[in-house]
Amino acid sequence: MKFRSALVYGKLINLAINVIDKSRGSNKAGDMAMAKCPDMMKHFKGIDPSKVLFITGTNGKSSTNNLINHILKKQGYKVVSNLEGANLLTGICTALIKASDLSGNIDADFFVFETDERYLHKIRENLPCDNLLVTNIQKDQVQRNGDPDYIYRKISKVAEEFDMRLFLNADEPRADSLGRKASRAVRFGTARHSRSFTKDDSYVTMPCPVCRHKIEFSYYNNDNVGGFRCVHCGFSNEDGADYVTENSDFENRTFAVRGVPFKMPYDQPYMLYNYSAAVAAVKEIAGIEPEVAAKAFADFSNISGRYETIRYKGKNIKYMRFKQENPETLQNFINVIASDPDEKVIVVGYGTVNDIIPSYINSFYGFDCDFSKMIRSNVKKFLCVTDTVCYDAANSFMYGGVDPSMIEILPTSDVSEILEAIAKQDTDNVYLTMELAKFEKMQAVAGKED
Amino acid sequence: MIKIAWMYPDTLYLHGERGNALALKHISEVLGGEAVLDKVDFETKDFDPMDYDILFFAPGEVSSFEVIGEDMGRYMDRLKEFIESGRAVIATGTTLGLFGGEVSRTDGSKTHGIGFIPATAVEREYVYGDDEQINADYHGRKMEVVGNQIQMINVSFEETAEFRRFGSVVYGMGNNGRDGIEGVVYKNSVFTNMLGPVLVNNPWLTAEIIRAAAEASGKNVKAEDPDFELEKKSLECKKVFIAEKKPGSMGL
Repeated sequence: MKFRSALVYGKLINLAINVIDKSRGSNKAGDMAMAKCPDMMKHFKGIDPSKVLFITGTNGKSSTNNLINHILKKQGYKVVSNLEGANLLTGICTALIKASDLSGNIDADFFVFETDERYLHKIRENLPCDNLLVTNIQKDQVQRNGDPDYIYRKISKVAEEFDMRLFLNADEPRADSLGRKASRAVRFGTARHSRSFTKDDSYVTMPCPVCRHKIEFSYYNNDNVGGFRCVHCGFSNEDGADYVTENSDFENRTFAVRGVPFKMPYDQPYMLYNYSAAVAAVKEIAGIEPEVAAKAFADFSNISGRYETIRYKGKNIKYMRFKQENPETLQNFINVIASDPDEKVIVVGYGTVNDIIPSYINSFYGFDCDFSKMIRSNVKKFLCVTDTVCYDAANSFMYGGVDPSMIEILPTSDVSEILEAIAKQDTDNVYLTMELAKFEKMQAVAGKED
Repeated sequence: MIKIAWMYPDTLYLHGERGNALALKHISEVLGGEAVLDKVDFETKDFDPMDYDILFFAPGEVSSFEVIGEDMGRYMDRLKEFIESGRAVIATGTTLGLFGGEVSRTDGSKTHGIGFIPATAVEREYVYGDDEQINADYHGRKMEVVGNQIQMINVSFEETAEFRRFGSVVYGMGNNGRDGIEGVVYKNSVFTNMLGPVLVNNPWLTAEIIRAAAEASGKNVKAEDPDFELEKKSLECKKVFIAEKKPGSMGL
């Protein structure tokens, strides 16, 4: 009875949100309904745990979730998911409320949820699930996550406590090592390709998740993801993975999995892991063969906001979002710029981190990243903007090897001033990174002016 | 020549502290003309701390304390000699706990540091990340230092005549959010919760550490700081940002 009234209440809230403001709908109904019935997720009917998949990890959760949903739906399956990205308990509960009838019955073929790594245990306690996909466990959001081991222990606990089939990134040592804690593991990866890279010995790698000694990478496909081996205990991924993207051709945008050719919808190298993860998951959970999955890749469109281009006074401004507390995404940004041989200006808007209270300043991760290829890629100027962190950004670029005479500092967060500074540059090819909210303001101003 | 050992860099690998290692080398070069930065880890044979002027230990995960502490046993006597001689150990972030005693973990287990500092630690259930501003008194020089904390452990430490605070907290959590004490100093060695590019962004501190270590080794470095204009502008920006935070926003 308590469940039924909470469910009705949740549905009414969803209804109201749809009328008032749809953008606020991803958490609210679950949040308010669970206040009335905290364990309501346990009462939904029609959920087969073998058809439930949780996607967790540091980077790639949303894209992988989006792609798996796309492939399943192309096959005509009905999928319940949290594609809006609300990945806490309340977001998943909202998705279930939306999908159920007034008795709590859900008629769906699959349940695919992006899940926040810190709340994974809580979510699994409330929703039976036989399948867990771990994209990677990296340095990220240190203000909340502290260090990767903090998250590793949380995911490990779930892997040890619940009997789940794990889908693991075989090229990321922490994720791969979770296979030792599971009775069933499916491993996915990416073969070395033309955009794989190495770093010189001045950079750090990471401790082995088994013995804490040094992990050595023979190459990287992403930062701290690639061919690895522990120098002490020999833990490695040299035995390969079950699903591997191979023969990646970034010019013609193709790759293969198990000999099956695929179109590459997005040519950022890190997306290859989302591709192999999705092919593995749909084959193992839904029996969709790679040949069939490949057809769905042809018209896959990812969530927006990662990459955008705006025009302003003749300048082609390419925006790439990176997470300031996450060196992998910063290195990805650098690598994309480095692959463009044309003359360019780079605008860096490190800002204060405002995710949770208190806001704070974090300019740590420039020092983990290798700028050398970007520096050699015909950059005419580095423009460091924002009012609080511009000097630290400039300093980190200097330590990264950038000639100080190529750095211009503009200590402002005013997007109009930043746009005017961009307009004065000699080249039309501009790369920009800053927090999404600030970029959206810039987009609005540029749209009015141009 | 100033010689710096970067200790266990792939195990004490967090928070972009490669920047601090580079800053120690760069500022040593600015002050003294030549510097060497060597990585030292489990696989380094015949490591002798006394071959160096500065040992830099960056933050790592508490899970690594045991294996590192065990490895440090092979050169512990020479490490103590190094510290007593006035050369400088710099330990940042959670690694402060590696030099202390017992660490109580969230799962109820205990791990141990090497027991050099009279301090104990309790692992936090929830991470606390923020800016930190302190007034430091190091090597006879008073200075403002602004950095960050990503606090994984709360440290309990009672000052003595020999083991003193590294700084007094102006803003931030310090060792534990209670006593206004940040870090520990013993002779010229610094054990601080501050992390991230603290030595990059506070080069006046870095320069003083280098001077103290060089003095202990009988080496000459410049007594005057260079201009550090960029870092001073950064410091002023951060002080304004911190001052504008609402009282009580620390959420301890």
